[in-house]
Amino acid sequence: MNNKFDALKDDDSGDHDQDQGSPKDSEKEKTEDEDKEQNTSKKKMVVPGAGEHPLQYNYTFWYSRRTPGRPASTQSYEQNIKQIGSFASVEQFWRFYSHMIRPGDLTGHSDFHLFKEGIKPMWEDDANKMGGKWIIRLRKGLASRCWENLILAMLGEQFMVGEEICGAVVSVRFQEDIISIWNKTASDQATTARIRDTLRRVLNLPPNTIMEYKTHTDSIKYSLGRLPWSGEC
Amino acid sequence: MSTDCQKTTAKAIPSTRRVTVNDAEHMPHDYSTTPGGTLFSTTPGGTRIIYDRKFLLDCRRSPVAKTPPRGLPNIPGVTSPPSKDTNEKAHNGELLNNNKITAPDSNNTGDDAQFEMDI
Repeated sequence: MNNKFDALKDDDSGDHDQDQGSPKDSEKEKTEDEDKEQNTSKKKMVVPGAGEHPLQYNYTFWYSRRTPGRPASTQSYEQNIKQIGSFASVEQFWRFYSHMIRPGDLTGHSDFHLFKEGIKPMWEDDANKMGGKWIIRLRKGLASRCWENLILAMLGEQFMVGEEICGAVVSVRFQEDIISIWNKTASDQATTARIRDTLRRVLNLPPNTIMEYKTHTDSIKYSLGRLPWSGEC
Repeated sequence: MSTDCQKTTAKAIPSTRRVTVNDAEHMPHDYSTTPGGTLFSTTPGGTRIIYDRKFLLDCRRSPVAKTPPRGLPNIPGVTSPPSKDTNEKAHNGELLNNNKITAPDSNNTGDDAQFEMDI
């Protein structure tokens, strides 16, 4: 519950990298007038426009691309990730989505992330640090369709796991593409099982598709283990 | 009134969801919304705003959904065509991603109500 807002505060406390790509759009300005009673941060949330269909949560699109030759570390990861923008309604979602390339057409080592507003697509974020993700590896050619189905299910609240979903990622790699969905509590087996079953349904996966659940603490350990080799400090 | 009138099939009572409000931030912006996001003032406790795939895809046709978002960062190859060629066009509202994806094998929405709410 509180994670989202803690994360927001965290966001404001001087994370310069994040702010570079943040759009100063009119939707945000509008909310400043309307949300006068909203106490917290200077960072205003987007609101649905008149007559638009509100979403259960606001979301933010992010894009990241690994600089060639530079392996991932937390630091470089954070520098390479860019905010594309936030939205609060179905129509606002389509505005962004329709003006972004489809993941299958991305080049290189790049990712789209779609996370609830206020949650950074990083393991270290308060909302994510106890969490994990379901991972599905896809052969080339499937990513665009699977990604669309995945995010539509997330935006439309098809997972039915309360506040548990944090966001989704599509990762374009050399020989395969990977989609994943992140949740808050890796130890909550009822939730992770429900997410898995919903994924099967909304992605229309063949019964033998391999789905892997990975906790973020494992991901962190694994990547730290690799760091000394990478030449990154 | 009497027991032998028209019988209807029994249906499970939809489960409710409780929303705890710990913070003013969690309160809705207007009086027609209850905490947790329902659109209906008659369902206290709040419902989830649920949309199925078909409904979401239909919304894409709305003119409002086609205007480019303000402040869209220009990332060549991502939010605009890969450098060199026509950068201009994308800024004038050309859709990069406007193909209608109707996957023949992912027809899991059926023809039922476009809009469902979980109560």
